[in-house]
Amino acid sequence: MKRHVKLIAVIMAVMLVLLTGCMGSGSGGNSGGNGGGSTGGGGGGESSSDSGSKTASGLDISQRVELQFYMLGDAPVDLPLIEAEINKMLIEDLNATVKFNYTTWTDWEQKYRLLLTSGQPVDLIFTAEWTQYQAYAKNGAFLALDDLLPKVAPKLYEFVPQEMWDAVRIDGKIQTVPATWKEYVTFGNVWREDLRQKYNLPIPDSLENIESYLEGIKQNEPDMIPLAANGLFHTPGYYDFKYEPAGVASYGFPYGLYIPYDDPTNVQQFWGSEQHLEDLFVMKRWMDKGYMSRNVLTTQDTAHTMLVTGKSALMMGDNPNRWNSTNQDMKSTHPDWELAYYPYPLKKGYATPVHPIHNGFAIPISSPNPERALAFYELLVTDKRYNWLTQYGIEGTHFRVSDEGYYEGLSDTFKREGMNGWAWRNPEYMLFDKSFEAVNEIFEELDKISKPDIFTGFAEDWTPYQAERAALEQVRQQYLHPLEVGLVDDVEAGLRTFMEKAKEAGLETIQKLYTEQWLNYLKEAGIQ
Amino acid sequence: MKVKDAEYSLLFKILAYVMVSIFTLVCLFPVLLIISGSLTDNETIVRNGFGLIPEKFSLDGYMYVFKYPTAILRAYGVTIFTTVVGTALGMFFITMAGFVLQRKDFKYRNQFSFYIYFTTLFGGGLVPWYIMLTKYMKLMDTYTVLIYPGLMTPFLIILMRSFIKSAIPDELVESAKIDGANDFRIYYSIVLRLSMPGIATVGLFLALQYWNDWFMSSLFINDTRKYQLQFYLYNIINTVQFIRDMAISSGVNIGNPPTEAMRMAMSVVVTGPIVFLYPFVQRYFVKGLTIGAVKG
Repeated sequence: MKRHVKLIAVIMAVMLVLLTGCMGSGSGGNSGGNGGGSTGGGGGGESSSDSGSKTASGLDISQRVELQFYMLGDAPVDLPLIEAEINKMLIEDLNATVKFNYTTWTDWEQKYRLLLTSGQPVDLIFTAEWTQYQAYAKNGAFLALDDLLPKVAPKLYEFVPQEMWDAVRIDGKIQTVPATWKEYVTFGNVWREDLRQKYNLPIPDSLENIESYLEGIKQNEPDMIPLAANGLFHTPGYYDFKYEPAGVASYGFPYGLYIPYDDPTNVQQFWGSEQHLEDLFVMKRWMDKGYMSRNVLTTQDTAHTMLVTGKSALMMGDNPNRWNSTNQDMKSTHPDWELAYYPYPLKKGYATPVHPIHNGFAIPISSPNPERALAFYELLVTDKRYNWLTQYGIEGTHFRVSDEGYYEGLSDTFKREGMNGWAWRNPEYMLFDKSFEAVNEIFEELDKISKPDIFTGFAEDWTPYQAERAALEQVRQQYLHPLEVGLVDDVEAGLRTFMEKAKEAGLETIQKLYTEQWLNYLKEAGIQ
Repeated sequence: MKVKDAEYSLLFKILAYVMVSIFTLVCLFPVLLIISGSLTDNETIVRNGFGLIPEKFSLDGYMYVFKYPTAILRAYGVTIFTTVVGTALGMFFITMAGFVLQRKDFKYRNQFSFYIYFTTLFGGGLVPWYIMLTKYMKLMDTYTVLIYPGLMTPFLIILMRSFIKSAIPDELVESAKIDGANDFRIYYSIVLRLSMPGIATVGLFLALQYWNDWFMSSLFINDTRKYQLQFYLYNIINTVQFIRDMAISSGVNIGNPPTEAMRMAMSVVVTGPIVFLYPFVQRYFVKGLTIGAVKG
């Protein structure tokens, strides 16, 4: 036994090493503090009595306060400069200073949740449907602005059209200030126009043409992966192209339900249907023909990177604005390449402009200065000095206006909309890059067929089926995702397995409850 | 009998060397890929993947990283500051705690140990902790919040206690007391000197904890000048993650996301200095690990 001890020890050590490789990573160390004193810090207000203690709208501004403004993403390099300029003006206008805070994209959802639920004094925060505005609003995270708006921000109240105010009502109350710039974030196909012309391929504006285009690329450029697919990026594009699912943000179909735009009360089952099977066969065909890489589910590159570096030639599911900036990006490294765009609405026959909820700013209930915050936001939107400072920077240092009225960037330290000012855009003051003309043309085309978005206003409350939803998500990742990228050999069997597992996870319960909520929403909103 | 033994230990040696070499290569491989990736032209990385030798040499990644050098230098400064101050203060508190907890004449030492240990098992959760630090202690956006929570890590207190217990015989303390030294004198003159290896080990753990910390910056720091180094790096990588996962549905346009080469260069810049520093402090680690092995 003694002489085998070493051998056993070595074997055990090796096994231990292999096992640790399979385990996930532990959590970050954080332990609560222990006793001790605390030091001050953070935003406080010094009160200073001031003359002229009321604004034009009768707001009491006798005390100096500091507003805490929270936005998502990263701060521009020159933020301190802009903050100083804004504060110079703000002290005179409202006897207040503002601190701009950015959550960065690291764990932003967690940070966002903490900001709203911990009772920390936050005066203004960004909202959108993808930050779960509807759910937070339903849970009472934001202040109702109905009474406050006409009182302290009458200009803002008039500026935003009444339909937009109504569109952001949750539980009958206005809980965010929507952005008024009409844009389209509808999907479309983006492809390499230079390659298309070189090999005489058709424009990818129908499924047959898309396939011909992909085949053509595959034949003529063997090094490329024709479809820029990473994970399931292309799937919502494909579905949006072929059908008209409920809401772009729900990745195709909410829990496998298909809700046609023209007949929203007619909720149909899509998963497991004949059409679903057909689509899965198409995906399999594309994978077999080599249009997608076999590693598609784990690819880390974004679809844009794949296009810009010439690794791929077609992207499904991008919006006009991003197509334009990807095109500009690509031109800076490959001036002879060209990206063209085909918007799906042209095929579907209608286009839905961005829902007012898409970009908004709300006042959390923990705000100590809601009136001042709202008045400041009014200045941001309606006062040109504030608006230009925060959207474009300091004129002469960061940008200048060309003779034709276009925006020209002068410095990397503050790019156009460098403060992520999507929510407080003012269409009357907006400056566009010259290259944006292409996007504006598309917008004008889409304007002709525009119809209101009926899906984003729906606030889904998934607490009654939370457990099933989590289980379904697991099943989806494991069984549906490989099917949807064509990695499963026997498609029919794969779909059957997925449907079985989904039913086990509680798909029917989820669908029933979701449909009830959806029909309720339609009734309340007076749609159909 | 003797011959058999010699054979066996040779086999063991070979096996051990092979295992360790394989393991080393496996660990080294990703590092080499990162270094090579940081020196490659970005497009080549996207089209052809990573390689051990840069296919198309380019310093673009590093140029992007050093475009705004003040940001990185500041992040380095913040992390060095919090590490040095945090480790110094932390060691002070932890050694005192360890010393006290192992004293047999401290009547309540078991209760206190349990109380400290209990916090590692059950915590109040993220939200109450967040509320306490931001609302009640008002530590948002300060350097204190980066240093404070890590000062008395329970695991390290327990570890320290064990070290001191094994290094300082009770009789020594008693005899010092008889000679008229008060507790603090004993702590300072005797305990600290004798448990140096233990202090080095625990100190290194603590320093590593502060150096690698990004979580505190993520939650509590809004001022970009106070970001810690690891958070700065993590941020850059996460922008790409966001674009990949969310940007489709949100329609958000980020502009130029950081490229692969840039992220690799960033990683090299952040981890490089530590890799160079490590050989110098390595012997303390090794010494500390074997400290309990032989009673001396």
